[in-house]
Formats: sequence, structure tokens, C-alpha cells
Amino acid sequence: MWLWFSKLGSPKWFYELSGRWLPWLVIPMALLLIVGIVWALLFVPPDYQQGNTIRIMYIHVPFASISLAFFPLMAVAGTITLVWRMKLADMVAKQAAPLGAWFTALALASGSIWGSDIWGTWWIWDGRLTSMLLQFFLLIGVISLRSALEDTDAAAKACAVLSIVGCINVFVIKFSVDWWNTLHQPAGDFSLSDEAANPPEVWVPLVIMIVAIYLFFAVSLILSTRNEILQRERRAQWVQELVEGH
Amino acid sequence: MKPHRQKKLGIILFIALGLSVSVGLILYAMTQNINLFYTPTQVALGEVDVGQRFRIGGMVKEGSLVSADDSLQVRFETTDYVHAVPIQYEGILPDLFREGQGIVAEGTVDVAGVFHASRVLAKHDENYMSQEVKAALDAAGVDTENHPTALVQPES
Repeated sequence: MWLWFSKLGSPKWFYELSGRWLPWLVIPMALLLIVGIVWALLFVPPDYQQGNTIRIMYIHVPFASISLAFFPLMAVAGTITLVWRMKLADMVAKQAAPLGAWFTALALASGSIWGSDIWGTWWIWDGRLTSMLLQFFLLIGVISLRSALEDTDAAAKACAVLSIVGCINVFVIKFSVDWWNTLHQPAGDFSLSDEAANPPEVWVPLVIMIVAIYLFFAVSLILSTRNEILQRERRAQWVQELVEGH
Repeated sequence: MKPHRQKKLGIILFIALGLSVSVGLILYAMTQNINLFYTPTQVALGEVDVGQRFRIGGMVKEGSLVSADDSLQVRFETTDYVHAVPIQYEGILPDLFREGQGIVAEGTVDVAGVFHASRVLAKHDENYMSQEVKAALDAAGVDTENHPTALVQPES
């Protein structure tokens, strides 16, 4: 296991392996995205309360749920950077921050559109919305911190610490709707057993969209990490051979 | 794992744990400030001062809605099924507003205990279904009423 762990830390090995993985992620992603979007926009029945506005949920929930993955991901990568000094972990962490900011912004924007129609306001300072906005600012903070420090090693360590600290906010976002009273509703119960809460015609397309957006996240992160590898390892022999070969 | 790495990992975990506990305690201490709204029970028991701006959250009581014929003025009661507070409002209500619906209103309470709202927002729960499913469940006698849990006091 330790051998595998240290092998994964080699940028060259990751570059080659991820090149082979990519088609197996891109193809299902494209299929699920098409199926999910068409289903959500055209075939989901209008909600008994919200009518057609419910379709925003099929964009909002996937983006909001994947946004919560960024800080834990960056914190794990950061811990690996601090303890094992693995270069690859920091490359992933560096590329995850701007991606996370985009996903968080999309979750906030789609939520605002939904709220302006259904709640009657596009913004309210309740526990859920405020902690999500805080996550957006924290991610901007991580990005700025990295660009402020010129030394790659120092930047990696500083960002790792900030990512571990920022992880706490993820729990606040997740449980804000349970700990405090908010305008935002708690997470829905989309289980198979309880048919009364949410029927399958509502949650099956939602699950498809969630899986599609998770795959989109994986593909985006792998693609940008591959760029980061080429950028940082540009003096390595294998990168130069790769560039010349094309 | 090498000892110096073990030590580093230990320090990181210790700091993360310490920070989590302190943030948790701060948030716990600030619960009343972070809560978005007061419940009708809290207002009825006089936890809020007259003239102070705050939000109240509850269900629109069935049969309490009275709208004026010649203006946008409405009167209704908001309830958590323990206490009810009358609300007066003039303005446009959200589409979702109706009796039995969860709402959050912003404004002040007067000496008579009437809440004068300057804004009314709709709050919905996390259950979504089509008109057909809703009709079928209602016919089968399943309770699907929109009761956001935060708005309703647990019955004691």
C-alpha cells in the first residue's frame, strides 16, 4: 500500500494514468449530463407548490453538494503536503481552489435565482447562505494567499494550513439548517423507502445530475492538474520528450 | 510511518481538533444571534422588546387571512401551533403565500402584540412532488402538509 501511495505521488505516473482514465470519465459524464438536463428540463412534472421553478433544483443541488467537497479535498491534500511533502498533492490543491470558487459561485447564483422566485428575496443572511458565502471568500483567500507568496514551498504550506482551517466551515454549512432556524430548507430525504417524502420521479433525475456534476468536477480537476504537472515539471526529461514528440 | 512524520500529523490533528472545538463553542454561544427568526411562542412570551426590529417565523394560521378590498393591506396570524401572533402587512406577498404555508416576516411588534411587517418571505419544506402525486397522497389520507420543522414547536 505504501508503495502504491508513493507511486501515486509521482507526477509522471499520475499524468500517464490519468490520461488513460479520462475517456472513462468523460463519456459517462457527457451521457449523464445530457440525460439529466433533458429529463430535468422537459420531463420532470411541475411541483405542486413551485411549478416549473423546481427545475432550478437540478442545477442548484448538484453544484451546492459538490462545493462542500473542495475544502475536505484541499485539507487532505494539504495534510499530505505538510507531512509527506508529496508534490502532486499540492498541485491538486492548487488547482482545486479556483475550481471550488467557481462551483461555490454557481451554487450561490442558482440559489439566488431560485430564492428570488419562491421565497420572495434573492438574498438573506441566514445560517446556510452566509456560511456558503464565507466558503466563497475563504476560497478566494486561498487563491490570493498562493499568488501572494512567490516561494512555491512556502505557498504550499500556507495554503495547506488555511485549507485545514477552512474545513471547519464545511460542517457549519452542512448542519446550519439543523442547528439554527433558517429560511433555507433542510436537505431533502431522497431515500428509496420513504415514498411519501419525495417520489422517484423527483429524485431519480436529481441523482443523475448529481453523479454527472461529480464526474464533471473530477474531469475538470484532472485536466487542470495535468496542466499544472506539465507547468511545474517542465524541466523534467519526460515532459520535454512529451512536448517534442508532438 | 517515520516518527517525525507521525509527530507532524499529530500536531496538525491537534490544531484542527482544537480549532473545531473553539469554533463550535463560539457558534453555540451565538445561537440566538444566528437564528434567523423568533417563533410566535417567543414573541407571545415577550422575549422581544416593543419597537425592536426582528424577524418572526411561523405558519400562516388556517382561516386567519383577511385582505382589504381596496388596498394591498392584509391581516393574518402566524402560529407554531402553540401560540399565534397577528401580523399586519401592506405590500406584495410572495406567490407561495397562503394559509397553512410557512413564512418569515420582518418588522416590529407593538404594545398590543400585533406584528407590523415590512417584508414577508415564503418558506417551503424539503419535500417536492407533482400535483398528481400530491392529489393521490391527499386522497389516500397521507399527511403531506408543508410544515417546515423549524417553524413548529415540538409538542411538549
